[in-house]
Amino acid sequence: MKCQTCLDQMAELADARLDEGKAAAVRAHIDGCPGCRREFESLSRTLEVLDTIPAAAPSHRLRARVMGDIETEKLALRHAGWASSIRAAADSRRGRRLPWGIPLLQALGACALVVLGFALGDRAATQRQLADLRSRVDTIGQLYEQSVLQKRAAGDRLETVLAAGATRSPDERVIGGLINSMAFDPSVNVRLNALNALYVHADQEVVRAGVLACLRREANPLVQVAMIDFLVAARERGAAPELRRLVVDAQTDVDVRESARRAIEQL
Amino acid sequence: METNAPPLDHELMLAVRDGDLDCMGELFERHHGPLFGYLAKLTGDRAAAEDIAQVVFQRMLRYRHTYRDDGRFTAWMYHLARRCACDHFRRAAPIAVDPAELEGRADESRRADESAASRDDHALLQRALDRLDPGDREVLLLSRLQELSFAEVAAILECSVGAARVRAHRAMRSLRDQFCRLQKEPLS
Repeated sequence: MKCQTCLDQMAELADARLDEGKAAAVRAHIDGCPGCRREFESLSRTLEVLDTIPAAAPSHRLRARVMGDIETEKLALRHAGWASSIRAAADSRRGRRLPWGIPLLQALGACALVVLGFALGDRAATQRQLADLRSRVDTIGQLYEQSVLQKRAAGDRLETVLAAGATRSPDERVIGGLINSMAFDPSVNVRLNALNALYVHADQEVVRAGVLACLRREANPLVQVAMIDFLVAARERGAAPELRRLVVDAQTDVDVRESARRAIEQL
Repeated sequence: METNAPPLDHELMLAVRDGDLDCMGELFERHHGPLFGYLAKLTGDRAAAEDIAQVVFQRMLRYRHTYRDDGRFTAWMYHLARRCACDHFRRAAPIAVDPAELEGRADESRRADESAASRDDHALLQRALDRLDPGDREVLLLSRLQELSFAEVAAILECSVGAARVRAHRAMRSLRDQFCRLQKEPLS
């Protein structure tokens, strides 16, 4: 074997990817050729050091973040299942189908439709559906909060919301993400900014229904007042029953109660 | 015949594609370490590598319906990783970035203290890696450190198997040359 042939195949030998026949021939040449042996030893030594470089290990945060992503995606799948059944019930009551594609959008929209059904009649059956829906939304909220908390810092989530708000022509997924954040994000600041970002889409029924559904589970007075202002600005008359509930509920914050009272007058 | 062998990556990913998202957790456990190692060496930035690794798994979830039946899970994952790394650098510097340029950019982001001279073999070899041609470094990371087959490397780099083999071995020789050169350089 010539030295050049040996040198051409040396890397494959060092990489242990040369078939046995060729490997034996190259090894035989190396054994008898001091120059090629030096070449092979330096190459082998280099790869040996390369192979023993300590592997960088990620922090425990990566696992928490990815597992949070997986849980969020699983939730979205589950939403798709139960939201479609509730939506079907709501659709049959209203006699039309809605073109929404985002699972949580469907859920929140269905919630609003159930409320509407509650206002129109069939109170006992709708009450049961509404209670069930509230329970599910609350459970989902807790799971969502856990996954979000694990996943990213509030500052990062706020950036995401602001970026979504700056999108000129947001699709259903972006709007669904904003409604998600407004409904379930543990940070008041993020929820408020998500609500602000939705103002320009207040003409969409699903957005108004989403804000109304979120108002029902919102506990922070500041966000509650902002949501009431939104519903008034959007002329959402379907909000009247929820506003009346806030007015008469003794647990309601005094500012929220006053804001709800004024909203009823304006609507 | 019933078997207790653990499911293949491909089988797990097919299950994910069919809606069994728990299987993504198993894929994460199997691959996040090597993937992170690859991204850390590619970017020279541990925090960025973690962010990109998360985005890779997010994209695997989001685009699970696009996973094909051809059984090349690892190639698919590293293909996504290259794209995510490319997106990362594009956001960091809003100019056109080709995946082939990633390594050069990684060099720029390495910390100053890491460039301090050291006689330690690992540090020298890391510097030798940094000095490699970007394409050479990438093929070396995939073939030698990630232990991917040349067929998998070829699928990731979108070249022929023969070209992947030639590039990998050329990269090994270049690394050896740089390593020897650094060993002879005086301490700076």
